[in-house]
Amino acid sequence: MQQTPLFSQYAEHHGRVVDFHGWALPIQFSGIMEEHRQVREAAGIFDCSHMGEFLIRGRDSFAALDRLVIGDLSSLAVNKCRYTTLLHEDGGILDDGVALRLSEEELLLVTNAGALDTVDALLGAQVPSVENLSATLAKIDIQGPLVPRILLEFGFECVRHLGFWVGMRHEWKGLELIVARAGYTGEWGYELFVPAEGAVALWQMLAAHPSVKPCGLGARDTLRMEMGYPLSGQDLTADRTALEAGLDRFIAWDTDFPGKARMEQQRDSQDYQKLVLLRSADKRAPRNGFVLKHEGEEVGVVTSGTFGPTVAYGIGLGYVPCSLATPGVAFEAGPRNMTVQIETAPFYKESTGRKKIEAQQL
Amino acid sequence: MNPDTLKYTEDHEWIVEQRGLYVIGITEYAVEELGEITFVELPEIGRRLERGEDAAVLESVKAASDVLSPVTGVVAEVNDTLEMEPDLINRDTYGKGWILKLKDVDLEEYEDLMDSRSYRGYLKTVE
Repeated sequence: MQQTPLFSQYAEHHGRVVDFHGWALPIQFSGIMEEHRQVREAAGIFDCSHMGEFLIRGRDSFAALDRLVIGDLSSLAVNKCRYTTLLHEDGGILDDGVALRLSEEELLLVTNAGALDTVDALLGAQVPSVENLSATLAKIDIQGPLVPRILLEFGFECVRHLGFWVGMRHEWKGLELIVARAGYTGEWGYELFVPAEGAVALWQMLAAHPSVKPCGLGARDTLRMEMGYPLSGQDLTADRTALEAGLDRFIAWDTDFPGKARMEQQRDSQDYQKLVLLRSADKRAPRNGFVLKHEGEEVGVVTSGTFGPTVAYGIGLGYVPCSLATPGVAFEAGPRNMTVQIETAPFYKESTGRKKIEAQQL
Repeated sequence: MNPDTLKYTEDHEWIVEQRGLYVIGITEYAVEELGEITFVELPEIGRRLERGEDAAVLESVKAASDVLSPVTGVVAEVNDTLEMEPDLINRDTYGKGWILKLKDVDLEEYEDLMDSRSYRGYLKTVE
């Protein structure tokens, strides 16, 4: 298994390590429920160094990238982030990612570990100027309502200028970091990209703060599910288009992208399966692979599911026909025919991620 | 309950005779594998269970898992407290986290189960 630059830190916090797409990563430290609460109420740090980072330079390269994704990244303003998905030739989802326009001439594309080799090969073949920084950049996500104050205590003055989904370079101890106000938990937080040689020092500084605790993949998963965010490789797969995945608002229909005709046909006919949020009637959770039945007929499948630690009921994501994809519609799920019904996103509605920075908070 | 005096299954349930009833729970190993338990579905009192039949369902943040009856018997009591406090199993699986009690059990099946020493040996083969 591959190790991130932070591997040596897991044992100090009793991290339990698992194989995640070939990476040795912590599934949990103190426990999934406790870490989940920590992020909702205070602050947690996640080692996300296994993720992919690509630096794309120049407008020709931006345009080449645009031909591989559902969005129009060339139009992204400097310092802004945008969510997008990379596509297979038939329009199926290869991976999802976030693009950050670092400058007029530079775009950082952040992708996942699961499809990294395929994404690297695709970008290498199609984009004139692309540099894979994945091995040299570590990434620490710090998430939770107390995070802006904590980062200011550590001298990260840049947070005063970072609105939701805004990012910029920031110098820290002679190293050039990239700080983006984003994340995967719904809470106020930042993704800190740090050169690998500075990763341990940054992690140790943050972990030593009394309001910060290290968190693992388990809590990352329950936190993202409470927000209804899909996971690449699990909810987003090669047999689904971005339209099916409910990512309509990220599709730039006026640009060209692989599988556009297929997606237009889906859009116009409304004849496809769509990713929806599924809420359990009690604490039982729908699980990945559960068949969804409606009026006795098999109509769909659950792709993610868990107990939601903050909402305190079972939650999941699954694909159902468009004709049934309306809040309130109920299904029987899994071998025990548990009842789930479609919920509007997100399950957890009190999250702090999009809050505006106010002077008194800082 | 003293783990040394219990009987064990290969599916990581424990069982022990106590005042004529047979108390069943899951082992520390199973608790570690499941993680924090969030939901427990208990069987109906009076239901007859075959050996290996689903006796209860445990759900954790990570997964759902069936508790299989270690022996044939009839459900005499269930631990209702778990419905409100499922994490009792995480905190005290050999005590307050017991799941159900059986009566009229098949004693031959009971005698055939692993003792604590065999179970510890068995754990080495699965870890």
